[in-house]
Order: sequence, then structure tokens, then C-alpha cells
Amino acid sequence: MNLTIHPLIVLLFFPGGLFLLASGLVFQWADRKLVARFQNRVGPRFLQPLADVLKLLAKEEIIPEGAHRGLFVALPIIALAAALTAALYVPMFGVQPFFSFQGDLIVTIYLLSALTISLGLAGANSVDRFSLVGATRTLTQLFSYEAPFLLAVIGPALAAQSWQISKINAYAGETTWFIVAQPIGFLVALVGLMGKLELPPFDAPEAETEIVAGALTEYSGRGFALFRLSKDIELVIGLTLVAAFYLGGIANPLDFVLKTGGLLLVMALLQTAFARLRIDQTVGLWWRVGALMGLVQILAILAGIYIRQWWL
Amino acid sequence: MGLEVSTPWQQVLDKIRTWARVNSPWAIHFNSGSCNGCDIEILATLTPRYDVERFGIKLQGSPRHADVLICTGPVSLQAKDRLLRIYWQMPEPKFVIAVGSCGLSGGVFHGCYNIVHGIDEVLPVDVFVPGCPPRPEGIIYGVAVLLEALKSGKRPERTMTVELPAGFEMPQAEVRQ
Repeated sequence: MNLTIHPLIVLLFFPGGLFLLASGLVFQWADRKLVARFQNRVGPRFLQPLADVLKLLAKEEIIPEGAHRGLFVALPIIALAAALTAALYVPMFGVQPFFSFQGDLIVTIYLLSALTISLGLAGANSVDRFSLVGATRTLTQLFSYEAPFLLAVIGPALAAQSWQISKINAYAGETTWFIVAQPIGFLVALVGLMGKLELPPFDAPEAETEIVAGALTEYSGRGFALFRLSKDIELVIGLTLVAAFYLGGIANPLDFVLKTGGLLLVMALLQTAFARLRIDQTVGLWWRVGALMGLVQILAILAGIYIRQWWL
Repeated sequence: MGLEVSTPWQQVLDKIRTWARVNSPWAIHFNSGSCNGCDIEILATLTPRYDVERFGIKLQGSPRHADVLICTGPVSLQAKDRLLRIYWQMPEPKFVIAVGSCGLSGGVFHGCYNIVHGIDEVLPVDVFVPGCPPRPEGIIYGVAVLLEALKSGKRPERTMTVELPAGFEMPQAEVRQ
């Protein structure tokens, strides 16, 4: 679908800004509801995430003594800005990305990492042993999942011969779904996304039974709300990216809802089925299994490309 | 609530704020010297069987994220400072629910030399849930009573009126170089 909308509307309402915030909340609700249903519970109401965010925004924000005030206030804003910006390059809601250039795949992944890094910095900045441990784990996890996730999204990019998300999306819509052609890459991408979002099997960075609330222990009110929002938006972007690459592209809103919803269902099932891994197990899993599988996938794709060129 | 001015805009904002507050009470759980019976019941309340996420109740690890302090026990002298510290770490507006007979009056520990006899001696308590221990339904009802009071605006938003106990110093954050 191709629409021409005024850039300001694109940034503030659709598909950036308000629409993105709303979809982030809806996806958070869907995730919580699915996990609750898998646990045989009723689960939260539809407006629950909205109530959470509004309540947090209305609360007092405590800036701990010893923390750098400027950084403490600015980091949540940077995280949210990074997430919102990254969303402009992906085919959100089945609409062609409004800002697109050669190499925007790298920029998107970089912006999503900027979010995680600001999370880590926030933990290291607030003077608290729990948030410091949480920050260390967040950054350790960043270094472990980032390489396999990148390898996994490079697969479709190599096949499509482009670094542009919209072109890969269009190419994925034309050929057989990449989940069939590159099943290993899909698996690594999906599990990598869960690591990126710090969802249950990989939630050692915010393990509430060990380190209170991880990097965000000292954040209350506004800062915490913004970090939660940026996590939700990262969930939407990640799901869109994986769906666009591996599930045959996203061409219209129905595609978007069905494919990201299906992915979310699988992710909620994985969240419910597995217990939390220790941080060393996470790192081991990613580097010993994830990265190797990603590399094998890349080699197979390269071999396929060369064989095809040689034959034709 | 907050401001004296009551323009229509302010009223709408207040309504939204109250709605959000009533629908998302995040709790933190603290045991101030209880026998653990009430704490087991509180944990039972949070299990899928009772599913308090229906009402938006979530157990938080950090006092900075919590709105409601669910507190058990007769407040032993050892636990008193810790209880106060947890309370002060919570951001405003914050509410306290005392769970169990001990939290109300000292319960079976009444008359002991080493307790403060009830949470309301230390903190401003909003809701008391009696029982030894109270059933999970009772605890959920206690939270519902608090939320009902919030909704009708009966519970005025109060600022900290708790006096610092003599010789108690607020712990300072240690700055590592």
C-alpha cells in the first residue's frame, strides 16, 4: 500500500507517534493476555497497559542521590525516541515505510540497540547495586544476542540483494516465504527477538527474584513509564521486522495483524513454556548455538546464490 | 485533588488520573516479623487460581514501582527501620494495607517486649485485613475496599505525616568513585 501523507502527520499520528504508542500498548496487552490464557488465568483487561502508563506518569519521580540528574532524566526520553524513530523504517501496519533509503535495515537495528544501551546506562547511572547488576546483565545480553539476531536478519537481506527494509519486504512477498527457505534463520531471529525484549526465558537482566527489578530498580513514575513504552514499541517493531522478513512480507493491514499476531502467539507460548535462564546460560546459548546456526544459514544462502549464478 | 483550582480541564485530568490509579494498583509485599502465615496467603493470592492481574494488581520487586505496600506482622523492633525505609522509598501517592491480626494489634505476639504492636503505630494504614491468616479472598477484598475509597475520593491524598523515630537517619545513597 502506498499513501502520501503530510510528513508531520506521519511523525505525530500515523504511523509514528500516537499510533505507534497505541499499538505498543495493544501488543503489550495481547502478550500479557496470551500468557495469562496459557497459564489458565483470565488475564488483564484491555485498557490495563494504558492505565499502567497513565498511573506511572501521574506518580512522583524520585531521582536518587548520587545519580547524574541530567542523564537520569534524559535516558528514558532517548530510549523512547530511538524506538519511535526505528519504527519509521519498518512497514508498520502494512503501510510502506515513509522514510526509506539504502541501508535502513542497519539503522533500524542500531536504533533498537541504542534503546538497550540507554537501558544499561540508566542502570549504571542510578547508584544502586541491583540496578548495576541489572545493567551489567542487560549489556552482557546485548553482546550475546545481537550477533545471532543480525546474522538472522542478514539472511533475507542477502537473498533479496538489498539492505533496504521495504525492498526486502517486497521481495519476501514475491518468493516463497523465507520461513520455508531459511527455517534456521527464522528460529534464530524469533529467539533473538525474545532476548532483545528480555522476555521470560531471557529475563535474567530484570530477574525480580534476584535483583529486584534490574536496571530500572531506581526508576519511578515518568522514567519508568517511558522505558516501558519504548519496550512495547520495540516489541511491535521486532515482530513487524521478523514477520516482514520471514513470513512472506507485510503488504496490507490484514497481513500485519495476522502475521504479527501469529508470531506473538508463538512467543507467548515460548515465554510460558520455559523457565528463566541464568545469564551465563543465555550467553552460552547464543554464542555456542545461535551464532553458529546463524553462520551455517548464511553460508548455505551464499552457496545457494553462487550455485544459481554458476548454473544460469 | 492536587491543585486547588477546579477548572473543567483540571476535573477531566483528575478523573483520568483517578481512573488510572484505581485500575493499576501495583503492590509490594513486606514482612515485618510475621510468622509467615499471612505471607503464604498473600502469595496464594497472586497465584493463577485467584488471578489478581484481572484487576491490574501486580507484584513489583522494587518499592520505587509500587503503589500499595501490603504489609504483614506486628513490626518487630528490628524490622521497624526497614519498614520505614521501604515506605519512604515508594513514590507518592502510596497506600498501605495491613494484613493479618498481627499487623492490626500485635496478634499472638501482643505484649511482647520486642514489637511495636501493629503497623499503624509506624505508618498511616489505609485498610486493615483481619484474620490469622486472612484468606486470599479477604486480601482481595481489602484491596477492593482501598480502590473503592480511592474511586469515591474518600481517602484524601495525604502527604507524609509520619514522624521520624528518634535516632533514625534516612540511609544515604553511597557514591562509588
